[in-house]
Parts: sequence; structure tokens; C-alpha cells
Amino acid sequence: MNIGTRKILDRSFTAVGIGSIVVMALALMIVVVPIVYNGIGAVFFTGTVEHRKMLHAEFRRGDSQYLSSEVASSNRYRAKVYDMLTGFEAELETMAPEKKAEYQAKYSQVRTALQALLGPLPGDPEPMLTRFKYGQTRWEKAEEKLHDLLYESKWDNTNPNVMGKEYFVSRAIGFEGTSLARLFPYVKDNLENMLLPEFTFYWGFITDSSVDSHFFGGIWPEIQGTFFLAIGAMLFAFPLGVVAAVYFTEYAKPGFLNSMLRSANSTLAGVPSIVFGMFGLAFFINTMKVSESKSVIAGALTLAIMILPTIIRAAEEAILAVPKTYREASLSLGSTKWNTIATVILPAALPGILTGGVISLGRAAGETAPIIFTAAVSVGSAIGLADVFSSPTPALSWNIYNLASEHEAATQIRHVQYGMVLALVTIVLLLNLSAIVLRARISKKLKG
Amino acid sequence: MADESVGERNRSNAFVVTARKRTLQKVAKTAGEGMLFSVAFFVAVIVLFIFYFVARDAIPFFQIRGFSEFFTSTNWYPADEPGEFGALAIIYGSLMVTLGSAMIAVPMGVAAAICLSDILPFSIRQYAKPVIEMLAAIPSVAFGFFALVVLAPLMQDHGGPMLMWGWWILVSPFLLLSVIVIADLLTANIKDEKRRQQRHWMLLIALGLFSIFLLFKVGSVLNGIQILTGTNALNVSIILSFMALPTIVSVSEDALQAVGRDIREGSYALGATRAETIIKTILPAASSGILAAVILGIMRALGETMVVWMASGNSSHIPEPWFNYLEAIRTLTATIAGDMGEADQVTGSARFHVLFAMGLLLLIISFISNLVSERIVVRQRKILSGQ
Repeated sequence: MNIGTRKILDRSFTAVGIGSIVVMALALMIVVVPIVYNGIGAVFFTGTVEHRKMLHAEFRRGDSQYLSSEVASSNRYRAKVYDMLTGFEAELETMAPEKKAEYQAKYSQVRTALQALLGPLPGDPEPMLTRFKYGQTRWEKAEEKLHDLLYESKWDNTNPNVMGKEYFVSRAIGFEGTSLARLFPYVKDNLENMLLPEFTFYWGFITDSSVDSHFFGGIWPEIQGTFFLAIGAMLFAFPLGVVAAVYFTEYAKPGFLNSMLRSANSTLAGVPSIVFGMFGLAFFINTMKVSESKSVIAGALTLAIMILPTIIRAAEEAILAVPKTYREASLSLGSTKWNTIATVILPAALPGILTGGVISLGRAAGETAPIIFTAAVSVGSAIGLADVFSSPTPALSWNIYNLASEHEAATQIRHVQYGMVLALVTIVLLLNLSAIVLRARISKKLKG
Repeated sequence: MADESVGERNRSNAFVVTARKRTLQKVAKTAGEGMLFSVAFFVAVIVLFIFYFVARDAIPFFQIRGFSEFFTSTNWYPADEPGEFGALAIIYGSLMVTLGSAMIAVPMGVAAAICLSDILPFSIRQYAKPVIEMLAAIPSVAFGFFALVVLAPLMQDHGGPMLMWGWWILVSPFLLLSVIVIADLLTANIKDEKRRQQRHWMLLIALGLFSIFLLFKVGSVLNGIQILTGTNALNVSIILSFMALPTIVSVSEDALQAVGRDIREGSYALGATRAETIIKTILPAASSGILAAVILGIMRALGETMVVWMASGNSSHIPEPWFNYLEAIRTLTATIAGDMGEADQVTGSARFHVLFAMGLLLLIISFISNLVSERIVVRQRKILSGQ
């Protein structure tokens, strides 16, 4: 090869390396940016009067006088819509039977779309589910529902070789010549007056419990459950891990037993997380009977086993990083080995040990698979501290899965899902960030 | 430590060591060490317990149904009466996403590790490492959510163009590079400088035209592909590779760092460029450590649950043809997670125990690969430090 080609190869080799790091950073960005962008939308959004009605009725929040004046002004505009509906119903009665049946079907679609937009119409029975008691609480959703009202969606399946294409037909044309035709332009023009959108900072998203399986309300039960599980796991795993690390670094003698224990540690670190869940179910719940069925304590114990190897490894590294001189100085002053460990080495290694602990805390908070069979329920209210031994809890990680994959209206509550993911990612990344900062300070300190 | 000779003047009781006190100290020391040991031993006990309790519930399945159906049949109808428990398609799905993610994550991870250990200056490395740690820290369910809610619809709606752009961006630089290298290699033996130059240019143009043709031909084929479902093996492989990357990068960076400076400097002294040094000397020296990193990384992909459960489509069949990554698949972990809720009601049935059989399979694979990677690392350390 000539020298030019070798140079090109060298450069491109560097480019590939840097490129792959850039791709990793991009991957992080691509995953995090939509989560952050849409997640913030769960807390800051353009809320409608329906949102304020819901807040007042479900959480007793908001100024009732101001709210009733708002409701009155929105009702003034809604009244015309309702009048048009009753007018059309009267018109329906006068039609020929076959024409009436045709319009009846279309009309009930219009009513459903209007109910989704504005809430129950006059004359409707009181809805059983809270989700049907209010119209659209978010303005961007209301605009989607307005589109549903104005246009009927149809599927074009003429070409059997490709997937069907969706296309839209204006409903107003369908009602041409009847009194209802006026409804569509009217709603389109006056939607803002009917819903009164205004910028909303819904801090309750963090502190409220959910209403009607997350259609409204916040995610406090999930956040609390995540904290219970993660901190419970730390309570078990942290002391055990530090003690085991002290044994490995200070007392273990090289030999078969020691290498076996180390292998056990790395095996434990490599066990797939779902297997921890199965073990938790088979051991803690079915055999040890720590609780009747799923409970926070069973989940915390399972998570504790999962994060134990990480804590041991981090604590070992932190203890080994303590300069030898510390130990020698302490021993030369006449203190015993145990005394040296307790008063000199552990305090010096503490920041490093804490770093490992904080990272493990984040891991325990984010992990889903071990708690599926041991601790998590999909719907539930926040539990008290006394219930951790007997009752399961909703948790962020599990409920993200549940809302995104198993909820009956998953696509309608995307903002709640994004908000949950953002909450979880924020908790985990903040923990990790603090660990990174902590470690940077330690390495600075050790360098002197 | 405090021995007999205590000065006459400060004869306080604290420093007097009587025989009784010494025995007490000894007992306390032994007891303390025993306690420490028992805590460390606890980890080994847990590992044994995990094996025991998963196997205890897995063995009844093989007693009821035998081995052959589980490993050879693709009929997975556990809820039927009587049920069918052929897990071949599920095992195949697991292997497929593991392999797919390894194909993305291994080259990228090793390249990034080389870059971190040998190419980037320290100041930039400082910022690159937290990025990798953040990627490792993001919870798997967040990745799964991203795969399901963002990536899957994108793939379904714009699958063809995405594949085409991916092909162009990823392949064109490498194709360009290989054209240059091949042209150079083929003309290297020609002695006459003028003729060599001529040949060189001709080859470059011919190969260049051919590669442009290849790029566009394959690109247009890819552009025409319509992805029927966004929740497929490719989606999962991409996301799993993100999750395996941090492990691969950090472990193989350790392996590369363990290769001494003298080897690098020797290679530079012989006139090798940096790329040649890395490829021909450092990578072979660190190869076993990198292998260990790869094993650990793909184990992470094999054992991952949430992403595959949410975004793999969970359809238990072997894709048609077998390498079709654009079809929905089902994996072992997702099957365990998804079916346990229903099977839990029928504890004792084959339907319940088959899930533990899958767990045992995962456990054994992870145990073996862990042992292997550990042996490899120990051996590399011995070789590098011994010579």
C-alpha cells in the first residue's frame, strides 16, 4: 500500500471511532429529547375550561367564582350548539322513514364527536365513568377531536397490494340541506369561546393521584411506589454490600473459596432481570411467604438481590482506592485492624461507596422486570408506610409499560405516559448525575 | 497491637492487656471475621437459591412434557386444552434479536472503546464517559416506551425511506474506502510508475461507478420495502444495541487500557500508523478482553425484558425467510413476563412450569457465558502481566 492510502485509512479509522461515539451521543439525544419534550407537556400545556372544571370537581382546586363565570360564558356559546341539535332532532321527526334512518346514523356519530369535545350534552344520562364526565381538557386534543367532528375518516382499500390509506370526508357535506349543516362552521369558529383555552401549569401532575385509570389527575402513587421500592431495596442491599466488600478487600485470602465467592458475585450480576422476578415469586412469595401475594417488601427484597453485586463492586473499588498510607499511618499509631477499617478506611472510602449506592438506587428505581410478579399493580392509590408489608403498589416503571401497552385507551393518554417516563428518567438521571459529580470531586480530592 | 511494654508513667487500665482481655479480643475478632465472611457467603447462597428455586419449578415441566417438544416444536399454544409447548420459535426469536443487536453494538462499541482509550485526548474523553454512563442508566422501560411509541410508528410509516437513508449513510463511506484500498492493492505490484498511475485511476473510476450503481440499486430496493408492523425484530435489535453498547464500551476499554504502553510504542517505532498499530498489535493483544466484553454485552441483550416485551410484536413464529428482521417475533424473556400473570392462576400446571423452564434456560446460558468471560479476563490479565 502506498503512503497516501495508509494515511487515508488511518484518518478514516479515527473517523469511525469518533463517529461511533457521536452516534452513541445522538442515540441518547434521540431517545431523551422526545421524552423530555412530550413529558413536559404533561405539566405545562394549554388547558381548557373542562380541565378547570375537572380540577374543581375532583380535587377541590381553583377559584369557584371565577370558574362559574367562565362556565357561564362558555355555556353561552354552547347553548347555540345545543339548540341546533334539538332543532335537527325535531327536523328528523318530520323526515321520510328511510331518509330518517340514514341521517339518524350520521347524527349519532356527530353526537359522539361532540360529547368527546364538549362533555355530556343536555339530555344525556349522567356518565358512569369519570372520563366521560368532561370534554377535552387539553387544547391540542380538542383540536384533534374537532377534526373528528368535522371530517369522517374512511379507508381506501382499493389496492390490495398495499396497506389501506386513510382519507377524510367532510361531514358538513353529508348534512347539506338540513339545519345541522350550520353546526360545523359554527363549532369550528367558536371552539375557543366554548373551551376557553389558556396556558396551564398543572403541578398536580406530580402530587395528585390518578382519576379513572389515568385519564385525569397525576402520578403521585407511582412516584411514591417507586421510592418505596428503591429505598426499601437499598435498606437491605447497602449494608450487606458494604460489609461483603469489606470482607473481600480486607479479610479474604486468595484461594478456592474466595474465587468461588467472586464467581458467585459476577454470576449474580449477570442473571437476567426477569429471572430475579421469577425467583422473587418462587422464593419470597410462594416459599417464604413474606406476604400473601405481591407486596412492596417482596419487591424490595428482589430488587435488593439484584443490585447487591453492583454495590459490592463499587464499594470494593472505593475501599481499594483509599491510599495505602492512610492504613499504614493508622496501624502505626497502634490501632487494631478493625479499628482502622471502621475509623479510617470506611470514612475515606465513604464518598466512593455512596456513589455506587446512588447508582444502584437509580437502577432499582428504573428496573421493571423483577417487580412484575412481586410488587407492582397497574391501578391503585398511594399506600401508607404501614402497608408495605402486605400490599402491592403502583410503580412508575411498571405503569409506563401498563399504560403504553395494556391500557384500553393507550393512545388517548400519551401525555400521561410521556410524563411518567420523564419523571422516571429524571429521577434516574439525576441520581446518576449526582454520582458523576460526586466521583469527580473525589478524584480531585484524592489527587490533592 | 498494643503489647506488654507500656510506659511506667501512664499506666492506665486502657493500655493494660490482661490474658482475659486478649482472649476476649481474639473471640471478638474471630466472631467479627466470621460475621463478615457469612455476609460475603450470603451472595453465594443467593446464587444457589436462585438456581434451586428456578430449577425446582422448571423440572416438573420436563417431567410432564419431556424435552423434545420444548426444543423442537414451534407450536406455542399454552392456553389450549391440552396445551402445546413448543418453544423453538421463541428461542429463535431471542437468538435473533441478540444477534441483531450484537451486529450493531459490537462494531460500534469496539470502535468507540478504541476511540476512548487511544484516540481522543483526555479533555474530550471526560465528556464522552458520562454520555455512555447516562445511556447505561436510562431505564429499560423508557427505551421500550421509545421503541413502541416513537420508533415503531416511524418504521411503519416511513420504513422504506428510513432503510434507504440508513443504507446510504452507513455504507457509502465504507464503500468509498474499500474502493480506494482495492484500487491501491491491485496496482501495488506494477513497477512502471506511469502505467501504475494510469491503471490506478482507471480502477478507481470503474470501481467507483460500480459502487455508486450498487448504492443506488440496493437503496431503491430498500426504499420500496413496506414494513407491515413497526414492532419487529429490527426495531428491538436497534434499541437493544443501545442498551448493550455501554457494557461493551466500558469493558473493552478496560481491556485496551490493560495493554501496556511499550507494545504501542514498539509498533509506532517500527513506522506503523495509529490505525495499523491498533488493528495489528493492540487489538490482538486485547482480543480476549474484548471477547469478554462482547459476551457480557450480548448477555444484556438476551436477558432484557421490557424492550422486547413492548416492541417485538410478541408473535411466536419463525420469520419467513428466517433472516427477515422486519417481522414480529417473540422472545423468552417477553414470554415469561407476559404469560406469568395468567399462568400464576394455575400453579402446578405445565403452563406455569414451562415459564420456569424458560427462566432456567436463560439462567444457564447467562451462567455459562459469565464463567467463560470471567475465565477469559483472568487469563488475559495473567498473560499481560506475566510477560
